[in-house]
Amino acid sequence: MRKISILTLITSLFVSSFVVANEVNVFNARHYKADGELYSKFTNMTGIKVNLINGKSGALEKRIISEGADSSADLYITADAGRCGSMDAKGTLQGGLTSAAIKSAVPKNFRTSKWVGIAKRARIIYYSPERVTGAELSGMTYEGLADPKWKGRLVIRKSSNIYNKSLVASLIKNNGKAATVAWAEGVVANMARTPTGNDRAQIMAVAAGEADIAVANTYYLALMLSGKKGPEQQAAAKKVKAFFPNQNDRGTHMNVSCAALVKGAPNKANAIKLVEFLLTPESQEHFTNNTFEFPMIDGVSPSPLVVNNLGLDFKQDMKTKLASYGKNQAAAVEVMTAAGWK
Amino acid sequence: MRINFWYISSFLISFFVIIPILTVFSSFFENTSNYYQVLKDTFLLEYVLNSLILLLSVLILTFLIGTGSAYLVSFFEFPFSNFFKWALILSFAVPPYIYAYSLTAFFENYGTAYTILKNLFGEANYNQSIPKFDGLFGVILSISFSLYAYVYILARASFLYQPQNLIDLGKNLGFTKLKTLYSIILPAARPAIVAGLSLVAMETLAEFGAVDFFSINTLTTGIYNSWIAFDDLAFANQLSFFLLLFIFALFILENLSRKKARYHMDSRGGFKQKRKIKLSGGKSFMAFMFCFLIFFLSFLFPLSQMMYWTIKFPENLFDLQIMTLLTNTLYLVVLSSLVLIIFALISNYGNRVTKNKTLNILSTLSISGYAIPGVILAVAFITFIAWFDESVIKTYGFLSIKKVFIGSILGLVIVYFIRFYSLAFNGIKSGYEKINISVDESSYLLGYSKRKTFMNIHIPFLRNSLLFVFILISLEIIRELPITLILRPFNFETFATTAYISASEDLLEAAAVPSLFLILIATSFIIVTSKYILRDKNE
Repeated sequence: MRKISILTLITSLFVSSFVVANEVNVFNARHYKADGELYSKFTNMTGIKVNLINGKSGALEKRIISEGADSSADLYITADAGRCGSMDAKGTLQGGLTSAAIKSAVPKNFRTSKWVGIAKRARIIYYSPERVTGAELSGMTYEGLADPKWKGRLVIRKSSNIYNKSLVASLIKNNGKAATVAWAEGVVANMARTPTGNDRAQIMAVAAGEADIAVANTYYLALMLSGKKGPEQQAAAKKVKAFFPNQNDRGTHMNVSCAALVKGAPNKANAIKLVEFLLTPESQEHFTNNTFEFPMIDGVSPSPLVVNNLGLDFKQDMKTKLASYGKNQAAAVEVMTAAGWK
Repeated sequence: MRINFWYISSFLISFFVIIPILTVFSSFFENTSNYYQVLKDTFLLEYVLNSLILLLSVLILTFLIGTGSAYLVSFFEFPFSNFFKWALILSFAVPPYIYAYSLTAFFENYGTAYTILKNLFGEANYNQSIPKFDGLFGVILSISFSLYAYVYILARASFLYQPQNLIDLGKNLGFTKLKTLYSIILPAARPAIVAGLSLVAMETLAEFGAVDFFSINTLTTGIYNSWIAFDDLAFANQLSFFLLLFIFALFILENLSRKKARYHMDSRGGFKQKRKIKLSGGKSFMAFMFCFLIFFLSFLFPLSQMMYWTIKFPENLFDLQIMTLLTNTLYLVVLSSLVLIIFALISNYGNRVTKNKTLNILSTLSISGYAIPGVILAVAFITFIAWFDESVIKTYGFLSIKKVFIGSILGLVIVYFIRFYSLAFNGIKSGYEKINISVDESSYLLGYSKRKTFMNIHIPFLRNSLLFVFILISLEIIRELPITLILRPFNFETFATTAYISASEDLLEAAAVPSLFLILIATSFIIVTSKYILRDKNE
């Protein structure tokens, strides 16, 4: 009797996963509250239920790959084009994100047929206006981070971080691997400390006087200025200014949060609908006001906090295809490790 | 050898637990390298070094903290010594990753320490003078303050059972307190302390959350990264070889000490309640301060940091579906402990009645799951199911079984089962060792069947052990991170996963609320059952 009841219990545990429903399954590595709000809105509008499995990108990717053709995943949403690119390279994605709505919304270099950018960010330089002069910064580029004049003045996070991998991948794409090796060595020589902490910690290191310049993504400063991180960090953010590098050549390094269509997606049509929904002006506005990213589409303005404090009028790198971040990722890791970038 | 229901079921349970463990190690002998040898050699050295430094530092710290505080509360009377006796196990409620969040929150630039200084002394740049506890040092502190309780509990239990006449002997020989400690008390408690330290060591090597948070490369995160990010099994292979060496050494150590522990513990005939020495003046204050400092650092500090953030950023409290998270957490706890306890009981009983050597070896092997880091076990489980599905199930034309096991509660419970089976098995085994075999024989003589003996005689005898095992497993599952993270179903979160995900997205403030609830639940578990954990009264 007991055995039967245990068996029933165990059986009942997984029966639910076989029920067919109007849904879309999202493997989600972006965990902003704002995203959740958008998914609920999508469900209310279309009746399509959004099932989420939240996790770190590595583990989610492994699960999608292991599940193979039987994977329940429809969309993989993550915060770096390098990740979408490497999933594509592993043959786990399929084409299909090619509807007119998507193509007209997203510029060509920010999408492929298998994945598209849903929100933009730039990886830029933050500096202390007290300790860095305008002359020092004039014409500053990513390449210039290796200049010996920054010795002991630079902070940037670890080489294992995906944003750094993608930045270095873009440098390899533009300058070649040999030049990038020399560059990485220069950067390591300039570091004010062994890399530690997240992007926000780099900005705070400049505010606190541990370093003069930092490399970090755009939305972090806005996040601190918003007061969502408390009054101390709000005050700290005001001690730091943003600088957009490479304005005189290819433009500032851009990256995206991307949505990728998984091979064998059981709800492909719904997945495409969700991506289109995320690219509507309403959704884009919701992103920009809550996560402080740049909008993917034209006609939507970034959050006033971003516009007023970071500026809007900068040249974006529209030349380097984001697909190259995934392709050059292994080389980027090799370059940074060889340079002793922790 | 008699083959019967008990034999077969114990055999199957042990065998079932061993399969994935074997898969982990066999998969490391595949060669799929596509990664650069030079880099690997650089990494390899770093990973091994980091793991070694981490392991040794944590062992030294937990030994000092755990044994020191156990010694004080077992042998001396000082203000609040009875309170500290159980309060010192509360650190179990704070997993290393939550401790890591607290360290960062407090000491980072413009963190809580800065706010405190600013409010006390006015605006100034205090950041430079606030020490930073991050990186490897941060990990060492996080793990030590969370895990020293293993050493504390086992050392204290051993001190408690040390016969008073042994200590009197030292007094008669004119030993000082310190000399008594070094020459009599510590050597006699050595097996228990070693057992505690080897538990700490295994947990340290398996630690994922805190190590990942400070992005320190250890063997475990190295295996995980090379496996997950680079699909490089060959490198994972090399790393796990080293990890295996570590674990193997620990495993032998632990087993040896366990055997000795039994020998020492048996001298219970002359047990009498120990006379505690009453401390006064400076000594009493020092003892109090030592215990208070540990209690403060291990429990009050992370608890108050999480509370402070919950109050400072209250919007996070309302965003969270606390009831759902609570139900999910408790659901996993109850289901998994039930399954674990039932199967461990059957297996133990099978071992007892068949007295079969093969079975004995098999069950010893089956408890090695605890030594394998959860994150590796989870990935191995997915790999195994994927392989089994592709090469067996589909070849015979059946429907895919992947969805049944991957991303389901069933799969989650199975992997918990493999990981925590040793806790259940050993816990119940130690209970069984206290039931004399003659009890069984009398029962058979009275005409009881094996089943009836099991149900009517053993179970009531084992009640306390079962409860103890239940608490241990519950605490582990409440805190468990990597397995839950990798294998859980859609839309299913626990306090642990919610905290981890917020923290990994640079939303530490949002991680405070689930962390706080996790600590509170674990604390209430510990408080309700502390008398079983401490086992003051001789059962």
